Amino acid sequence: MPVAQREAGKGLLLTGIHKSYGKVAAVKDLDLHVGGGELVALLGPSGCGKTTTLRIVAGFEQPDTGTVEIDGEEISSLPPHKRHLGMVFQNYSLFPHRTVAENIGFGLRMAGMAKSARDERINTMLDLVHLQGRGNVFPAKLSGGQQQRVALARSLVVNPKVLLLDEPLGALDKSLRESMQFEIRGMQQRLGITALLVTHDQEEAMSMADKVAVMNGGRILQIGAPADIYDRPKSRFVAEFLGTSNIFEGRASDDGSALVVSGPHGPFSLTLPQPQAHGQPFLLSVRPERMTLTPGETSDGRGSGFAGRVVGAVFRGNYAAYQVDVPALGRELFVYRQADGPLGSTTYHLGQAVVLDWAPQDGVIVSGE
Amino acid sequence: MSDMTPQPTPPRPRRLLLPLFLALPAVVFLIVFFVAPLFDNGMRSILTQDGWTVSRYVSLLTDRFYLGIIGQTVLLSAGVTLISVVIGYPVAYFLVRKAGRFAGLIIFLLIAPLLTSIIMRTFGWQVLFARRGLVNTLLVDELGILSAPLRLTNSPEIAIAALVHVLVPFMVLSIATVLQGIDTRLEESAKILGANRLRTFWEVTLPLSLDGIGTGAILVFMIANGSFVTLVLLGGGLQTLPLMIYQQFNTTRDFGMASAMSMILLVIAVACLFAQLRLVRRKGA
Repeated sequence: MPVAQREAGKGLLLTGIHKSYGKVAAVKDLDLHVGGGELVALLGPSGCGKTTTLRIVAGFEQPDTGTVEIDGEEISSLPPHKRHLGMVFQNYSLFPHRTVAENIGFGLRMAGMAKSARDERINTMLDLVHLQGRGNVFPAKLSGGQQQRVALARSLVVNPKVLLLDEPLGALDKSLRESMQFEIRGMQQRLGITALLVTHDQEEAMSMADKVAVMNGGRILQIGAPADIYDRPKSRFVAEFLGTSNIFEGRASDDGSALVVSGPHGPFSLTLPQPQAHGQPFLLSVRPERMTLTPGETSDGRGSGFAGRVVGAVFRGNYAAYQVDVPALGRELFVYRQADGPLGSTTYHLGQAVVLDWAPQDGVIVSGE
Repeated sequence: MSDMTPQPTPPRPRRLLLPLFLALPAVVFLIVFFVAPLFDNGMRSILTQDGWTVSRYVSLLTDRFYLGIIGQTVLLSAGVTLISVVIGYPVAYFLVRKAGRFAGLIIFLLIAPLLTSIIMRTFGWQVLFARRGLVNTLLVDELGILSAPLRLTNSPEIAIAALVHVLVPFMVLSIATVLQGIDTRLEESAKILGANRLRTFWEVTLPLSLDGIGTGAILVFMIANGSFVTLVLLGGGLQTLPLMIYQQFNTTRDFGMASAMSMILLVIAVACLFAQLRLVRRKGA
């Protein structure tokens, strides 16, 4: 990320935000910094507090404690209409009784801009979202993707200090979603707008955001670049919410180099990426795509790998997802393998005997949280 | 799939008999109790002992006295409608947006007056506003604000108040239904874009709830137009078409004129229904 964008005091800063509804705490002591021009995604399951956080930034909810600052200016006590924000909703939320042009020009009109200047800006915006000449149409006549582009234009035309995106692509079909991800991200970067994205879709978060903040139970569990969060999850929740993980539970061996896991036929040890303090209980997470499979009944004598049997095989186009039953572990593990077998089928088939393995450095130690 | 010409459909078996048969009771009922009386009424309004005439309609629509009555009827209904909108909108807004779990109670309180007989309700207003009624007793004897009781009953104001009291629920429920359907995120969008609360209401909420106001207004207007008991008991000299029809029937015994007046009332009602149909169609388009 360019250093220029990390100007001190720029962007959005949340400090010590706490919000409860009755006895239920929706957001607990949350700190978050979105640097100027940065896009941060709040990712989490429904009810994790991500939407409440967004609504607190928008001013629709008042936090019990904590402050919201934008570009160094405290805005906690300002009503929504004085915060100079842009917001895109999942259901587009276009004014149905206004034309596309009137929708886009709404914020400018509220700001008291003259009609001629407004029209010019509206036309520029219509060009930018590829809706030239559709200004006089009512939103209901547009497709979902077009409506979402109008919503985006409506929120960007006022040059907001922060752009808030509330599940912006949730209502679109998958193929359209991908192109809109690029479009929104491209525009946000070109205009250098600070943005906060709320989503429960990990793919959306990872492909659009500079940083992903994984939330659960009103807290941010981990925040970092998408690759960092995905490859180095700190907790079980993050490892399992972002993609799939095989989690092993156990204690460090005497010399601390391995994880001792109990199995139905006695304990066995898994080599750890880094040595750990002796006897400490912890979890090891291994991503399915880091696991390897080789056909055969037993391991090849190198002493590593587990003998198993394919009990589930799902064709997913560019890769295949397998469920492999490992008797030594008394459980099933998930394995993703690139499609490299003969065309028209998965490489391994149901019931096939395989040996499952992974490199020790592909394991990640996570907390039980 | 190259041949796209539609195949001639085989003649449909005539299964019309059963539906017709099933509709018979309703059709008979409507003919006996609706179409026939209406037809009879229409005939009475144009028939005389020696032929037929439109003279009654001519005098109704040209005579200053009758035009005045028609005007007063429409004006009264329009006034009642306007007041109902002004009172009903805030109630509907509160009901949908703020009442929460009290919404059911509010709806009950709204509908409760409708469950009382109209005569009881009207006498209730008498009890409140009579010369020695509750309000005057309070003002004169208890609080001593006034030296002599006000003449409150039998005035157009009280009649309008009584009508509004009965008709406001129709307005509230029509508006509430439409308000319920307005996504609050639309209002939030307006606020984020810089509109304060008043501006948001003016730019978003009100325009989107116009349909509810329209439906409620037509309902209230039509019912007020035909109101009779309230005006007889509290009207204070207001002359409206329903009162005139009653007079023509019972005092003057001019059935023909009464019929013609009721036809005029009917035409106004049909015009209202037509207006509502337009409203609904526009919405559907």
